[in-house]
Amino acid sequence: MTANVACRDGVDVLMDYLEGVLSAADRGGVEVHVSGCPRCAAFIESYRETPRILRAATDAELPADLASSLHRFLASRR
Amino acid sequence: MGMASPATDEDDEALAARAAAGEGLAFEALVNRYQARVYRLACRMIGNDGDANDVLQETFLAVHRGLAGFRAESRFSTWLYRIATNAALMHRRTRARRPAESLEAFLPRFDDDGRHAGEPADLRAASRADEILDRKDLADKARAGLERLPEIYRDAFVLRDLEELTTAEVGELLGIDAAAVRQRVHRARLMLRGYLSDLVGVKA
Repeated sequence: MTANVACRDGVDVLMDYLEGVLSAADRGGVEVHVSGCPRCAAFIESYRETPRILRAATDAELPADLASSLHRFLASRR
Repeated sequence: MGMASPATDEDDEALAARAAAGEGLAFEALVNRYQARVYRLACRMIGNDGDANDVLQETFLAVHRGLAGFRAESRFSTWLYRIATNAALMHRRTRARRPAESLEAFLPRFDDDGRHAGEPADLRAASRADEILDRKDLADKARAGLERLPEIYRDAFVLRDLEELTTAEVGELLGIDAAAVRQRVHRARLMLRGYLSDLVGVKA
């Protein structure tokens, strides 16, 4: 990656960047760009928060009646 | 010593060994330990309209049947996740595909020079979806968002980002390499990020 990274280039490799699998040169290119780009900084913040928000919002609890029917079902099959 | 009662701190593999030897209480302890996680995984992968309950039952039935063949070289939780993931995927295959309006429209937008189209405040807005939206509303919308993800992205995202397995574990479960896992999870994050932005009233 050249020093001339556009926002789109950084977005394309963002997951690889965060997982630490980019080459040192590409990593440097992304960091130089992001340090001078408030848009990318804002984008990355929301990109990183997305899994956390979805994880909390889909943390379904097992309803008590399903838990009891599971135990009854398994008892009947043992 | 007869029937030792399953201590809550006994590790999974020890419980599994006792369950495989026919100790009902040890099996019960494993079910109690993992039932909520399996149910949550099923809800995330296929929705919770009754199908999640089927996956829950099928998973533990398969665990019970498979315990004799379980070898403690692998972790019990990894083995269980494999069974549960396969049960969810099989279940989804048997039901009619519901056409869902894709989330492609929420991918990030760039100008002709490859720069982000939005302003920083708008680009950041998705981060605050959980502060802005009512909890119940966000839960409903999150579920709907997962439904609208193309399945290959949904599976990778659920396992990697929601269940927090490692990229390597997800690759093993889905039969794809690590680069493909990262590509799919990335795509899902981009779409869901844009979807969250849209929920808080911002197109960015």
